[in-house]
Amino acid sequence: MKKKTLLSILSFITFSVFLTSGIFADPLKLDVKEYVLKNGLKLLMLEKHDVPIVCLRINYKVGSVDERPGITGVSHLFEHMMFKGTKIFGTKDYNAEKPLLDREDELVVKISAEKNSGNAADKKKIESLEKELEEVRKKLRDLVVKDEVFSLYLRHGGSGLNAATATDGTYYFCDLPVNKLELWAFLESDRMKNLVLREFYSERDVVMEERRLRTENSPFGLLVEQLNAVTFIAHPYRWPTIGWRSDIQNITKAEIAEYFKKYYAPNNAVIVAVGDFNPADMIKLVEQYFGEIPSQSAPPRVKTVEPEQKGERRVEIEFDSNPYIAISYHIPEVGHPDLYALDVLSSLLSDGRTSRLYKSMIEEKRIAVMAHAYDQIGKYPDTFTFIAAPRAPHTVAEVESAIYDEIEKLKNTPPSDWELQKIKNQLEADFIRDLNSAAGLANEIGHFEVLSDWRYINTFMDKIAQVTADDVMRVTKKYLTKSNRTVAILVKKENNNKTKETKENSKPGKSTVTY
Amino acid sequence: MHKIFVFPVVFIAYVLSLTYSSNLYAQPQGGHERVVAPSIGKPESEGAKIVSGFKFKPLNFVPPKADRVVVENGMILYLLEDHDLPIFNITARIRTGAIYEPQEKAGLASLTGYVMRSGGTVSMPDDKMNEELEFMAASVETSIDRESGSANLSTLKKDIDKSLKIFADVLMNPAFPEDKIRMRKDEVIESIRRENDNPAQIAQREFRKIMYDSKHPYSRKVEGTLESIEKIARDDMIAFHKKYFRPNNIILGISGDFNKDEIIKKLNTVFAGWKKEEIQFPEVPKVDRRFEKAVFYAYKDINQANVIMGHLGIHRKNPDYFPVMIMNFILGGGSFTARIPGRIRSDEGLAYSAYSAFQTSRDIGMFFVSCQTKLESTNRAISIALEELEKIRKTPINKEELTQAKETFMNQFVFRFTTSASIVGQKADIEYEELPLNYLETYLDNVQAVTHEDVQRVARKYLHPDEVKILVVGDKEKFDKPLDSFGKVNVIELQ
Repeated sequence: MKKKTLLSILSFITFSVFLTSGIFADPLKLDVKEYVLKNGLKLLMLEKHDVPIVCLRINYKVGSVDERPGITGVSHLFEHMMFKGTKIFGTKDYNAEKPLLDREDELVVKISAEKNSGNAADKKKIESLEKELEEVRKKLRDLVVKDEVFSLYLRHGGSGLNAATATDGTYYFCDLPVNKLELWAFLESDRMKNLVLREFYSERDVVMEERRLRTENSPFGLLVEQLNAVTFIAHPYRWPTIGWRSDIQNITKAEIAEYFKKYYAPNNAVIVAVGDFNPADMIKLVEQYFGEIPSQSAPPRVKTVEPEQKGERRVEIEFDSNPYIAISYHIPEVGHPDLYALDVLSSLLSDGRTSRLYKSMIEEKRIAVMAHAYDQIGKYPDTFTFIAAPRAPHTVAEVESAIYDEIEKLKNTPPSDWELQKIKNQLEADFIRDLNSAAGLANEIGHFEVLSDWRYINTFMDKIAQVTADDVMRVTKKYLTKSNRTVAILVKKENNNKTKETKENSKPGKSTVTY
Repeated sequence: MHKIFVFPVVFIAYVLSLTYSSNLYAQPQGGHERVVAPSIGKPESEGAKIVSGFKFKPLNFVPPKADRVVVENGMILYLLEDHDLPIFNITARIRTGAIYEPQEKAGLASLTGYVMRSGGTVSMPDDKMNEELEFMAASVETSIDRESGSANLSTLKKDIDKSLKIFADVLMNPAFPEDKIRMRKDEVIESIRRENDNPAQIAQREFRKIMYDSKHPYSRKVEGTLESIEKIARDDMIAFHKKYFRPNNIILGISGDFNKDEIIKKLNTVFAGWKKEEIQFPEVPKVDRRFEKAVFYAYKDINQANVIMGHLGIHRKNPDYFPVMIMNFILGGGSFTARIPGRIRSDEGLAYSAYSAFQTSRDIGMFFVSCQTKLESTNRAISIALEELEKIRKTPINKEELTQAKETFMNQFVFRFTTSASIVGQKADIEYEELPLNYLETYLDNVQAVTHEDVQRVARKYLHPDEVKILVVGDKEKFDKPLDSFGKVNVIELQ
């Protein structure tokens, strides 16, 4: 939740300028080299030669915003599938595996159709289909080389191996000792062109468990899911990145394959490399491995525009937990000039012990144990959000009204010069610190390239320097208004009547397979 | 500024939870280059066959070496100059911890460690300190955990003098004002009140209670209890601080853009008057080595069971530390490649997070398996974990698994040295843990030396599937089989 690193990592200077001049008042620019392959794949490179490692990212410009009802969560589920191997990784023999995978899909469809045919469902038929499915799966299991992509990376010293999906992008992380670069190029290019959707059904179950863990049994996860669903009534930011439960359970392999073809093309991807390599060698390597992958037609942008909010919305969530509150306000998308003042505003409100929310709500009134404000910058208009936890016996109502008090103050009185200077000092110091981390730099470059353009980073400090106290007042008045807000409150569920539980498809005692 | 709700493929709690001590996988820092033996196993896939033909150049890397200096007042310093960026960091370890507080005042150490900083010093009120530090974009933070205290300073080079002064002042002269003590107590009370909101927190808290005798400090949370918090007086905190915060009881890891001789002078100046003092550490009772099978259950209205199961493990200085680490990597610590996550997550889709860990401490720590699975597969997941404990004891591991584990540790070597701060931090930790000072230099040899037989030997010695304690938080009405198939169920009533 802490926003410090989030707000902070945004400006850089080139190492060469920095090291030779020893001053950091110079143009605060990051010396990223850019190269675009014929198939549209973009390569962003930053040299950093202190340790022989390279931090590599492959980011795809696709996220849950590109989904539709019925397949929400497909971006994230697909991200998991990217670790299941290709035609040459993760399998002992793809030719033997292929017909079995096809048969598995057919059987799943048939069983599902039988089950959904209502009273006419033929139990015997289902039984025999299930038996065959079990046999097919047994054969498949014998052909799989378990989690080979992950294992190969690990044994070659891969670190920080992971992937992540968000509303606007999907991110693949891998830090390697620099001498292993070719392993990465080989594996990743193969994943881009030869992915095989194996172990799909069990992975879908894994994602369901992830949803239970992060959302359904987490007060915080639940609160935010409900908040977004009410804040947006039309725009796809309204559904959760992990997907709605029913969609995760019913996404088909055909849907996921179509999705792969449409979005996982080189022209929709960006590679970021930060570390101890030579850019000319890197270009050669990437050309060699990725150059032949065909591009696809450009995926469409989301057309739906969230209509202007016409009044406050409120939602209450009952859960077995102490209360929380979250409040969100619509703000513009990346590239809009008001975002810099909103960055300063969020920092002013909740960064550090001298921030407004900390001082008033936690230190002076002592009505809350947590109070944060953060602006989410999206490819499409997103939100400025508050999130807080009251300290008993204080209530969410008290906390809510204290947040509004702080907002109103800023509409009438500008922040002090001291406060603005403090925030600017912190941003500057933070980017210097962040130059230490190749992994952090790779994340930032890749993140902003997915949103719009990595150069966002290079103009950030200048833009922040121009933000005035009046700007902060102006954006507060413009966006943090009653009619533009949505309030979500999580309240303790009284009496555990257990009727509310959603029914699951899986049967007790037979947990291997859910259809 | 960022989207904060992202959904990674690997559960972050792998590294954040109570599972690993942070420097568990420290790597050597000798000036020597190691060549890791290539894989011995046959590649099973076509892709792996091609990869096995790749020629990787050796990685020429000599990690920078930190200097160790003991100053007159007894402070131990690890120093590493790094002039790439104008930043300066100190990370300090102080020998203290919640293990030294009286049970009826549980929470004393943690509260002291927090208010030391939040309450400001005798000469600088907290408001002023917050303003000064935040305006410089510097930070000074302190805390006291179960078995150690820590203090950190981060500042720009241009502000070294000012921030170093504050850092020393916080360590030597905290004011402990009553209002800041009250404020922190109230926050801790609220966080204790909120513990049952989160199934994982319930499970971790209760598992500790189950593992250790209620009189042992390992059995309780370092934050204390609603009752014990209120018994802590300001004088207790002053006395606790005074007893342990002595120069001869602290190790500093210093890194960044400084000059070694100059910084030692500066340290002598800011810490002038801080006197050595012999410290009488209270006796901590030995952990009672009890192993017995038991099942515990706590009801919560959720649709996913939170399972922790395990028994006592090893302490940090156990001579079998390296074989245990490798064995656990194969069993359940090595992410997807390990057996427990391989079966529970990858094969059967029963959990997003499933792993095993040895949590080490000064006395006997815990071994445990943790997973979260839908209520309807609770029994199944537990059974798989038990089977795997049994299997690694009874059946020799295959060579490929051992190679995978060793190569992972050895090839990840370089990532231990990505910043000068992490290098001095590791050195300070090693000395604090009383490990051999050449721990990093001998680390690769220690990994390399682990044999097949070692793995099976330590699996037999330190894993006890017949004496596992199983704790489940969830709703038993929906379990696939009754929990008592594992033994008599003890019900824990949550408040």
